[in-house]
Amino acid sequence: MRDLLLHVVMWVAVSTTPSSSFAQGTATPEYQLKAVFLFNFAQFVDWPSSTFPAPDSPLAICILGQDPFGAYLDETVRGEAINGRPLAVRRYQRPEEATGCQILFISRKETDHLPEALDSLEGHSILTVSDADRFTSLGGMIRFVTEHNRIRLHINLGAAKAANLTISSKLLRPAQIVSKGGD
Amino acid sequence: MARIDARGSRLQGAGAGFALTAAGLILLVAPARAQQPDSLSPSALKRLSLEQLMDVEVISVSRRPEKLSSTASAIQVITGEDIRRAGASSIPEALRLATNLQVAQVNASQWAVSARGFNNVLANKLLVLIDGRTIYTPLYSGVFWDVQDPPLESIDRIEVVSGPGGALWGANAVNGVINIITKSARETQGLYAEGGGGTELQGFGEVRYGARIPSGPAVRVYGMGFGRSSTALTTGGDAQDSWSLGEGGFRMDWDASAADGVTLQADYYDGRPDPDGGSSIIARGGNAIGRWARKLSEGAGLQVQAYFDRTWRDFRNGFTEGLSTYDVDAQHRFPLGRRQEVVWGLSARLMDHKTENLPLFAFEPAHRTLHRYSAFVQDEIELIPERLSLTLGSKFEHNDYTGFEVQPSVRLAWSPLDRHTVWAAVSRAVKTPSRLDRDFVLSLAPGIPIIDQSDLQSEEVLATELGWRAQLEAKLTASISTFYNDYDNIRTAEPGPPPFGIPITFGNGVRGHTYGAELAAVYQATGRWRLRGGYTFLKKDLSLKPGSNDANGATAESDDPEHQFLVQSMTDLPGRVQVDAVLRLVDELPDPRVPGYGELDVRLAWKPIERLELSVAGQNLLHDEHAEFIPSSPSPRRIERAVYGKVTWR
Repeated sequence: MRDLLLHVVMWVAVSTTPSSSFAQGTATPEYQLKAVFLFNFAQFVDWPSSTFPAPDSPLAICILGQDPFGAYLDETVRGEAINGRPLAVRRYQRPEEATGCQILFISRKETDHLPEALDSLEGHSILTVSDADRFTSLGGMIRFVTEHNRIRLHINLGAAKAANLTISSKLLRPAQIVSKGGD
Repeated sequence: MARIDARGSRLQGAGAGFALTAAGLILLVAPARAQQPDSLSPSALKRLSLEQLMDVEVISVSRRPEKLSSTASAIQVITGEDIRRAGASSIPEALRLATNLQVAQVNASQWAVSARGFNNVLANKLLVLIDGRTIYTPLYSGVFWDVQDPPLESIDRIEVVSGPGGALWGANAVNGVINIITKSARETQGLYAEGGGGTELQGFGEVRYGARIPSGPAVRVYGMGFGRSSTALTTGGDAQDSWSLGEGGFRMDWDASAADGVTLQADYYDGRPDPDGGSSIIARGGNAIGRWARKLSEGAGLQVQAYFDRTWRDFRNGFTEGLSTYDVDAQHRFPLGRRQEVVWGLSARLMDHKTENLPLFAFEPAHRTLHRYSAFVQDEIELIPERLSLTLGSKFEHNDYTGFEVQPSVRLAWSPLDRHTVWAAVSRAVKTPSRLDRDFVLSLAPGIPIIDQSDLQSEEVLATELGWRAQLEAKLTASISTFYNDYDNIRTAEPGPPPFGIPITFGNGVRGHTYGAELAAVYQATGRWRLRGGYTFLKKDLSLKPGSNDANGATAESDDPEHQFLVQSMTDLPGRVQVDAVLRLVDELPDPRVPGYGELDVRLAWKPIERLELSVAGQNLLHDEHAEFIPSSPSPRRIERAVYGKVTWR
């Protein structure tokens, strides 16, 4: 079985050689899907033009706190543009830093700090998205809810309107509309 | 008395046919979390509408962000796509793709499948489930693979855990657990049809149709069948062991409310395996299962499942064997505080087993009803958030042969870096006796038994495992699992008193240890080229305990390769062409000796239009014929090179 061993050694050497993007990882299928939802939101939401510094400023999809998407979100938006704006992915640890974002995904790990985070984003036209419990009832705009292993959307339309965001009916139709205080 | 077949020769020859029982815990417990990565490419998902996105099932049922890489067990996942692109045409062929299994084709319809060694036609240390229904038979604690043929196209994935799963699944998960999981009826909508034929797989076809009431239940029905030609005798010539099977069934999935999901499934099959050659067995059976899952709150859920399974086998020589299994299972999971997640469950199973005996070949009593009651609890404790977690669990089970069995496990998972997990586990598992172990009587003449009933006790293993699992980058996942298993009370065939040494009875006369390592990796080399594969090393050191005179010298329970290696390549070429290959290398089997071999399967597929696929698959291409396993009975066979063509409409 010398041949076999040789093959094995070669294979192990090849397959375990770390590559340059060592630190980057992949998301679970659940977060792969959620990443593509975020990309879709960029297409189905209109921001006031005043939110962008320039006509070709990127549309920023940001992640606050722990990042469950790994490189997947970056891959999803790579090369994509919406109304002439390229898409950019940014990561922040504090909500104050995220005020230049158009879409802000807040990790479930930040559940404890949600009320403060949402408070500090008030007055900005940022579409807030999370999969944290009670997110929409706390004033967040779109909540990912997993039901029967599928992802459902709860949308707090009032919160979006208050931030001067217009959500397309294409996004509202398959979603469940909820209000602040409800869930 | 050269080599006593301690396993009932005609039975073994008869090899295969029941489906039954079990603990259906898969939906909510650990291995289900470890879904294959890379299955959802951004470009593919971006093409879906919002509605379609909402219909994609995410498997991570644990309602917390669960990192793929953090599972603290040696799990490998084979996706439906992997199976299709390997050109696999049966469940055992698909199982070859999990390199933490030993898989060997014995003849046209029989296979030897095990994990971490002890492989044999009657391998008895694996727990195998299809959609939560246990399919190993209490007849000999193994699987009749010749009637386990859910349509491969409907399989979502197969999760293969090597190492004990006894703490969650209970008895028989000594060396591993295989979970075969079929797609939800929601994912199999519309018409699917396939048909084809070739040199060994001579003819096959399947028609499936799925429909759905808007915002109501989704249903699929299917019918399928195949005929396979014979393998070759080692002496040359045709073994006449052809095998055919027809099967039909349905599955319904219904989201009864926002919190409730209901699944109903049923299958019926009728098969004609013929392992001995020239006298085919009639193997029929059916099953029905209902499952209700309720989400109680975020992170908490309840699942109740019940099933009935009937198998029947007529060996056409006067011996028949029938089994009816009734199983009820409930489990509840809930978070305890902020850092603990508890799962616990109860189950009860009744197995009504009846044989029509031959004068010299009998199970006594011919009719026996076996009961199994069990409870399990598992607590996963996050010691350091995101970094260190401890899982404690145990199964408590009562069976009619050995009474209470306790199977605990402790697992520790440490993630020093994101997406890197080092895990360690210590578990105890048992293989409780089967009908064959306790009730089998083989006689020379009436009243003169050669093999007699015995008082065999449970076989035990204490397994220590250490593993590393990582996602090295978006394109590469890799894992290494090592183990040291300490066995005691492994089955032996103990000769009777002199001068003739009969009757032989089964004893628990072997102890020893095994150790080894399993490497696996999946690599998305480019957007169009995916590689997966693995290597397994296995070493055994078994010896007879004082007082044992095992007729087989501690060797009869297993015949395993020390090294095995597999690599699968899947390539999408322009013009809707796919070129796929699987290379496997298997070291020699020591006793009975089977020379090491390398074999290659190749598949070419072309889609002239979106819904139509034409493909041709070549199997075992490197040799005209080769042997993979030599059983004590029936006679050894050689597996021939095979080619088949297939037309698929979806």
